[in-house]
Amino acid sequence: MLDRRTFLAAALGAAGGAATGCSSLPGGLGLGDTVRVAVPWSGAELRAFRTVLDRLEGVSYELIPLGDDIGTALQTRAGRRPDVVLLPQPGLVARHRDDLEPLPADVPVPNHPLWSDLLGDGNGSLYGLPFKVAHKSAIWYRKSVVREKPASWSDWLALNKDLVGSPVAPLALAGADGWCLTDFFENVLLGCDPAAYDSLARSESPRLSTESAVGEALDLLGRMWAVEGVLAGGVRGSLVRQYSDAVVEVFAYRRAAMAVVPDFAEPVIDTFAKYPDDVGVFPFPKVDLGRCGQAAVPPLIVGGDFAVLLRPAHEPARDLVRRLAGADAALPWIEEPGGFISANLDTDDSVYSSWLQELVPDLRAPETKIRFDLSDRLGRLGGATGLWRVLQDFLANVGGRGEAAVPGAVDKAIRQLADLEEER
Amino acid sequence: MALSVAGLRIELVGREITGRPVPGRPRRAYGPFLSGLPALALISLLLVPIVITVAAAFRMSDGPGLGNFAVLKEPQALRAIVNSVIWIGVALALVVAGFWVALAGRRVPRLWPALRLVLVFPFAVAVLISGAAFRIIFDPAPERGTVTALVTGIFGESPVWLGPGLFWFVVVSAFAWTWLGYVASLFRAGLDAIPADLARTVEAEGVRGWRRLLAVELPLLRPITGVVTLTLVVAAVRLFDLVLGAVPASMHDDANVLGLHWWRVSSEGEGRPAALALVLFAVAAAVALLGMRGLRRSWAVPDGAHSGASGAAQDVRTTARTRRRWAVVVAPLALLWAMPALVLLATALHDPDAAGVAGWWRAEGIGFDSFTEISNAALWWSLLSTALIALIATLLVVGIGVVTAYLLAWGGLPRWLGRAAVTAFVVLAVAPVQLYAAPLRAAATAAGVAGSPVFLGLVHAAAGLPFAVLLLRAAFASVPPSLVAEALHGQTTYSSAIARVSGACRPALVAVAVLEFVLVWNDFIVGFLISGAGSSPLSLLLWGEAKQFATSAGPVAATAVVASVVPVVLLLTTWSTVVRGLTAGTAP
Repeated sequence: MLDRRTFLAAALGAAGGAATGCSSLPGGLGLGDTVRVAVPWSGAELRAFRTVLDRLEGVSYELIPLGDDIGTALQTRAGRRPDVVLLPQPGLVARHRDDLEPLPADVPVPNHPLWSDLLGDGNGSLYGLPFKVAHKSAIWYRKSVVREKPASWSDWLALNKDLVGSPVAPLALAGADGWCLTDFFENVLLGCDPAAYDSLARSESPRLSTESAVGEALDLLGRMWAVEGVLAGGVRGSLVRQYSDAVVEVFAYRRAAMAVVPDFAEPVIDTFAKYPDDVGVFPFPKVDLGRCGQAAVPPLIVGGDFAVLLRPAHEPARDLVRRLAGADAALPWIEEPGGFISANLDTDDSVYSSWLQELVPDLRAPETKIRFDLSDRLGRLGGATGLWRVLQDFLANVGGRGEAAVPGAVDKAIRQLADLEEER
Repeated sequence: MALSVAGLRIELVGREITGRPVPGRPRRAYGPFLSGLPALALISLLLVPIVITVAAAFRMSDGPGLGNFAVLKEPQALRAIVNSVIWIGVALALVVAGFWVALAGRRVPRLWPALRLVLVFPFAVAVLISGAAFRIIFDPAPERGTVTALVTGIFGESPVWLGPGLFWFVVVSAFAWTWLGYVASLFRAGLDAIPADLARTVEAEGVRGWRRLLAVELPLLRPITGVVTLTLVVAAVRLFDLVLGAVPASMHDDANVLGLHWWRVSSEGEGRPAALALVLFAVAAAVALLGMRGLRRSWAVPDGAHSGASGAAQDVRTTARTRRRWAVVVAPLALLWAMPALVLLATALHDPDAAGVAGWWRAEGIGFDSFTEISNAALWWSLLSTALIALIATLLVVGIGVVTAYLLAWGGLPRWLGRAAVTAFVVLAVAPVQLYAAPLRAAATAAGVAGSPVFLGLVHAAAGLPFAVLLLRAAFASVPPSLVAEALHGQTTYSSAIARVSGACRPALVAVAVLEFVLVWNDFIVGFLISGAGSSPLSLLLWGEAKQFATSAGPVAATAVVASVVPVVLLLTTWSTVVRGLTAGTAP
């Protein structure tokens, strides 16, 4: 909740900033301790983050929900400029490093090569604190329908084949949320050819269209989606379905058996599942088919939100980041509404729901190699007018049309990707 | 008129006044121009960014050129252009439909007040909200979507209404829902203003039906038809938030319109979006200027017909049988039009858990939990800041609008300058937000005022001023010239002249104030494109809630209901005055 003081600060900041265009309100007004936090969240997630900040005692904050415009927080020079920004794309951290202050040395950052890779400057300084991790290789399913969790891609195809024709369709795809399709595709790509995935993620100007593993992954994906009756609601139903609707389709309407949606679907499942005992989750199986069938490890992809400090940072802002790094900082969100995995390795596993406990150990295990969401590192090519769009078209071209439709659809998708890369 | 001062008797002799008043030379030659300064200052908030956009559109990396306009040749842009043209067709069809409703309304005098209420209601609701209502009604799940449930119930299977092709039905319905009441009300006001003796003469001559329509009503209503068509076509060309809100993201390629396409390419540098914005503007401006030419011819009618006569007296005399026949058509229309609002309300009155999976007609889960869920500090702050933005914009627009309209109507500007200013205001009145959004946003972001209510209020005021000035100028100009001249020559005292003028212009003033307040309150596009999601107007809060649309139907509907109370009450209570104000310069 906003208390009167923060409210006043906000109002003053608004009026002062506009009337005079002045650089910032002086701390002399007694309002200088307020930390302005810009976040990409809205709706329930925004409310949850509010409870997190409320629980940090003595912190006076103002929350600025920027949604998809979170990048603009880094362009603001004066006035209502935020102090701390939660960024969903690590690429932005690297691009705006000049505007950021390195994390204070005493901020405990989870020790994982992925983070130093994404957020570091190579000299030991880190510019972002991983706060929230999203497990993007999760498949939620109904235990009463799926008796045995598939351990490999071919098991999964066999399972789908068994289910087709029953009243319960195998898959509820969330085609209206393009990122759900890219997550699906990336898992197949990573399962298929980890080296190709890594080189695309590292490349300065990645070219998906010339990478043969991309065609291979599309082909595998196409063959799964092309089976008649495999998609609940058919292609049209899949194209207008958002990720939370996919959850509802599986666990409330019970017309589908599985949904490929990240861990943060948990609160939706919690709210809408008709029989919570029927809900299960398993990690994306290893991909054992096709040319790249040798890969023995299942893919594991994460997304994340990183707290960064805008330069020049004041002490209350540093203090806020320090406290967000704590093992218990996110507890309020984990408890209610859930769907939150802390990036802090010391957060006790027992605080998570039994569902998330299925997923969290994977992320913690030192021997597993986790990768960051590829589409978040591709810039515009990975976004709504890029890969999202290509995969939505791909879904429309193959969905339920039989295997014969797959090669043509793959060619078309590769052509679209090539055009997009050309434009860049 | 005679006056005795200190034994001296002064007699004033008036003369017959004809033609437009000649106020004489002002004491300072630059006097009139001074009163134009506030408007100029405010409008420069648009003009400067527009100049920057135009420059960006023609700037290539290797000097000036037309290369950026190649953006129009992309298949996506072509699709957007074709769709925008289809939307213009939709707008024209809606004008015809609205005219028909106005005619029908005269045949059911007792149903008309209720019908008008139901029809005008959606006009007071934000476009984003009407998009949300229709998305709820046409939801693809038979458990949730009203139409899907009905069709499944009857035929056993329902098409995916929000899917390829059929989404047109959804968005066109939502567009019609918003605008039909506006069109019908204005036409009805025009029909009512046709002088009774003229109507009697025509009837006595035996001119009826189609012939009467073509010979009497349509020519007399030309100015109003012009205004209505202009408003709707411009709304169709500038369409943005309706498509964004009602159509799932995966259909945006198919549903693309010029305004939306601009947003989708706006991250690709400056030049190409600027070129698109310029094209969008050119289409809107061409429509507006054509419309203006059509409006130039006006008809002199005693203003008693306009202000005095009540609607009832103007109703067509009909037999009970025809009244019943028309009522059979009109009553279902009223019910149909009331439905989306009722669906929103009923959805909001379900708990979030129930509203997310089941339709509004289910008895389970009725309660206020959706309202409880959204009522937090953010909502109240958002209401407050929306009210603040709307208030700032309205005060500025009315204040500066009156001064500027006075200047244009009677201020003694050189004739060419007055004409040029009016043309400029017409063009600016239809300028799409996309034309100035990018530079304004960049400047506001750099200055750190992007989310500030004061800044947003200023931008809204600048965007609303041109329309306000045009409306007020028309109202001022329609005051009998003799009255103004009397005031200037001292035959009437200033105060009584002002009282009479303000009496005559009151409807226009009310119309400007109410429309500005309601439009700013309901705005999505200015807040979204210029200030970004970080600012707190209600529509942006709603946009955030609607990210996962169907499963958050409860909170979305509750936010929509809370956001709609103020504009709906305001517009419905003042609507008849607003209509009089809108038609002041266009009475037949």
